[in-house]
Amino acid sequence: MHIVLPHDASLDGHLVDGVIGYLTLTTGLAFLAVLVFLLIAIVFHRERAGRTRAHHTHGNRPRDRALTFAVALVMFVAIDVTLVARTAGELSGRFWRYPDGDPNALRVEVTARQWSWTFRTAGPDGRFGTGDDVVTLGELDVPVGRPIYLKLRSRDVVHSLYLPSFRTKIDAIPGSTTRLWFQAQEAGRFEIGCAQHCGVSHYKMRGLLIARPEGEYHDWLARAETDSRLRGDAALPVAGEADGWDWETGR
Amino acid sequence: MTATDQSQGGDAGGDAGGPGGGPGDGLEEIPPEPAGFLRRHVFSTDHKVIGRQFLFLGLSFLAVGGVMAMLIRWQLARPGVPVPVVGGLLFGRAGGLISPAAYTALFTMHGTIMIFFAVTPILIGGFGNFCLPLLIGARDMAFPRLNLASFWTMAAATAVLTASFFVPLGPPQAGWTAYATLSTAIGAPGVGQTLWVVAIYLNGASSVMGAVNYITTVIRLRAPGMTYLRMPLTVWGFFLTSILNALFVPVLAAAMVLLFFDRVFGTQFFVAGTTVGAGGDPILYQHLFWLFGHPEVYILIIPAWGIVSDLLSFFARKPAFGYRVTVAALVGVVILSTVVYGHHMFTTGMSPLLGESFMVLTMIISVPTSLLFLNWLGTLWRGASRMTTPMLFCLGLVFTFGVGGLTGLYLADVVADMYLHDTYFVVGHFHLIMAAALLLASFAAIYFWFPKMFGRMMSEALGKWHFWPTFVSLNVVFMGQLLIGYAGMQRRLYDPSVYEFLRPLLPLNRFISRAAYVLGASQLIFVVNFFWSLFRGQKAPKNPWAVGTLEWTVASPPPHHNFDRIPVVVRGPHELGHPAARALGKDWLGQDEGPVRPSADNATDGSTDGSPPDGSTEGAA
Ligand code: HEM
Ligand SMILES: [Cu+2]
Ligand SMILES: [Cu+2]
Repeated sequence: MHIVLPHDASLDGHLVDGVIGYLTLTTGLAFLAVLVFLLIAIVFHRERAGRTRAHHTHGNRPRDRALTFAVALVMFVAIDVTLVARTAGELSGRFWRYPDGDPNALRVEVTARQWSWTFRTAGPDGRFGTGDDVVTLGELDVPVGRPIYLKLRSRDVVHSLYLPSFRTKIDAIPGSTTRLWFQAQEAGRFEIGCAQHCGVSHYKMRGLLIARPEGEYHDWLARAETDSRLRGDAALPVAGEADGWDWETGR
Repeated sequence: MTATDQSQGGDAGGDAGGPGGGPGDGLEEIPPEPAGFLRRHVFSTDHKVIGRQFLFLGLSFLAVGGVMAMLIRWQLARPGVPVPVVGGLLFGRAGGLISPAAYTALFTMHGTIMIFFAVTPILIGGFGNFCLPLLIGARDMAFPRLNLASFWTMAAATAVLTASFFVPLGPPQAGWTAYATLSTAIGAPGVGQTLWVVAIYLNGASSVMGAVNYITTVIRLRAPGMTYLRMPLTVWGFFLTSILNALFVPVLAAAMVLLFFDRVFGTQFFVAGTTVGAGGDPILYQHLFWLFGHPEVYILIIPAWGIVSDLLSFFARKPAFGYRVTVAALVGVVILSTVVYGHHMFTTGMSPLLGESFMVLTMIISVPTSLLFLNWLGTLWRGASRMTTPMLFCLGLVFTFGVGGLTGLYLADVVADMYLHDTYFVVGHFHLIMAAALLLASFAAIYFWFPKMFGRMMSEALGKWHFWPTFVSLNVVFMGQLLIGYAGMQRRLYDPSVYEFLRPLLPLNRFISRAAYVLGASQLIFVVNFFWSLFRGQKAPKNPWAVGTLEWTVASPPPHHNFDRIPVVVRGPHELGHPAARALGKDWLGQDEGPVRPSADNATDGSTDGSPPDGSTEGAA
């Protein structure tokens, strides 16, 4: 059995793996120490011939307390404080720095429903809700090397767009708009999952993310735009079309 | 304390006066034992009877929830293969196959039953009721009839929940969290979900009645001399849990009422989305649910922590290490537990500031928790541990809690949680910290208090045969879940093979399932031991474990009124390995045992009785 993280195809996924790795290392060491301590206590400090009486202490002496607090504090600084500092930087510098003004970013409107995903990009005119929008069902096509900026809504229940190979997920919630950004660093086909229980067929709510090099992506876009018009997909209902998806306000 | 002190303390004079503290209450006012079968065994107001009723109710539902877990594991190991033996009976119409709808109902009911109808009744209802008055030296709960109402409200809740299996469209399927809008008419049109809402509401009502009663009992009915800092940590556990219950179960109740309105009267508190064109807020439900839900985790675990803290001391034959720090840590956890719930909602798109605040608050909880944990280790260190069955289960808990607690850090970190949220990593984490800890603590408590409850000893040999397979398989199951989640598998998936990246995990899933069957089967050893001991076990002496808390000063089982004479407490609960006891030919001193060689007694006792140590603690000595 080979238990590994899914293949990482993203720009920032290694940050997530880094945090997980750091935690596994530090908590692993901490647990090892606990284990050794426990084993010694269990093996040697048990009642047997020659050890019928425990050492009587309430552990209330200042030095007992100092020791306990010191160990707790070391753990807290080595794991928690370090982690918070690191995470806060990564959140404000990467994950929560949305490409709002970035003209290079590909914007996608994601509509979740029981039990499928619909992805809508603006098409050549760069505006949503016009005839040249490209709408795909269950398939998200993106260029490699550009920020992908998703806004999500749900038509019915709470879903969660889960991109294991990009180490991220975000809920799609009826009545509000959520957002997520990521960037593909390599071409390929990657699975999209639903992570939030959304009814009997939750397990079937799978999608596909196809990342292509910029040139190929443009060819695809041209084809898809025609297909989209042919199939009439542009007319597919989209959650909350009427009020717009707030691309301008950044929220 | 002198003999005159004692007789004074026996009066209502002490700080622990109150309802049971009328003049001369040490000797008089013994409530008459009711006559008649119904009053004595069914609608009894005796906390010991009610405790046993809760225990039996909880154990029955533990079995049901356990069988459901096995069925879930079967589907994950053999997707699309009919369930052997019981399949035809349970899923006859599907040819013995678990359908997606049945699977959804199974994990929903497994979670609901385990949390609300198994573990809550066993630990809080069962042992809370049985132990509280006995451990603080009271004759019953402060409000015996409220206690009766609490049990029967719980019974009504179980009836409603059970009824949901037999309605059109089947049992509830929205998960134990019942997130809106899946739990509203949009995602769950059947009556089953409405019955779920009612059952949870009634369950909560039962909990609040119990909580009010426990809090009052601890505040008002402690025996003379039983100061707060002489209370066994078990009592602290139930006391603090009850405070959380009284404060936060009403929040759940509010959510249930609003959800009920949405479902039955067509309001739209939680309903939104273009499908229905409503303007409610599903996230509001999540706030309400987790505002309750996170404290709930501590509501369940704190009694277990209290019990384990006591039992480790009892069987290590050594006072609980850092009693006061432990109490302070418990109080700290209780306070912090009320302000961290947002860590369940990192992926709902909460504002960055909110997300980071909840992350920091959650991390801070690890300080009191590690103090508690370190004190357990301190208790064991240089002890003379007796490896009895209850002790084994406690040590098992220390181990699983270590793993479970540390894995919580992964989920508290927003960055890691973006990947791990709603995967099996979460499932593994909460099973280790909650399911494993609660199972192990419940078993420890049963093996420990069984003699007092039923007047007979349980078999130690069978107890050990129960412990080892349980402990090993339980760790394989729950750590396996962690690994599966690390590899990315979402929770609540009927058939993971729909995803290509999850297909290589099938062998591991099979392995986990096999361990789960072993875990389930090992519980049969417990069942045999339980019933055999109930009828055939060796008669229990008053104090089989040789410890000093008050319940062991009365007969096993205790008489209806518990104490012929309300005890007067002179020391803390953990005077084990006490030098002064040597003169008496034993290694422990009872909480109400008169002073032996006063000076020596004070020397070590000062640290737990609320009076400042008189400079002769062993550190100075
Ligand atoms: C006896 C061994 C147990 C096994 C093998 C087991 C196994 C499982 C499995 C496979 C799931 C489904 C996870 C998912 O798909 O999300 C699950 C869910 C759950 N279990 Fe257990 N479990 C056990 C005991 C317990 C206990 C004792 C508790 C309670 C303290 C508990 C509480 C839960 C909860 C709350 C859920 C979540 C239900 C939901 O997703 O709505 N389990 N368990
Ligand atoms: Cu979904
Ligand atoms: Cu929580």
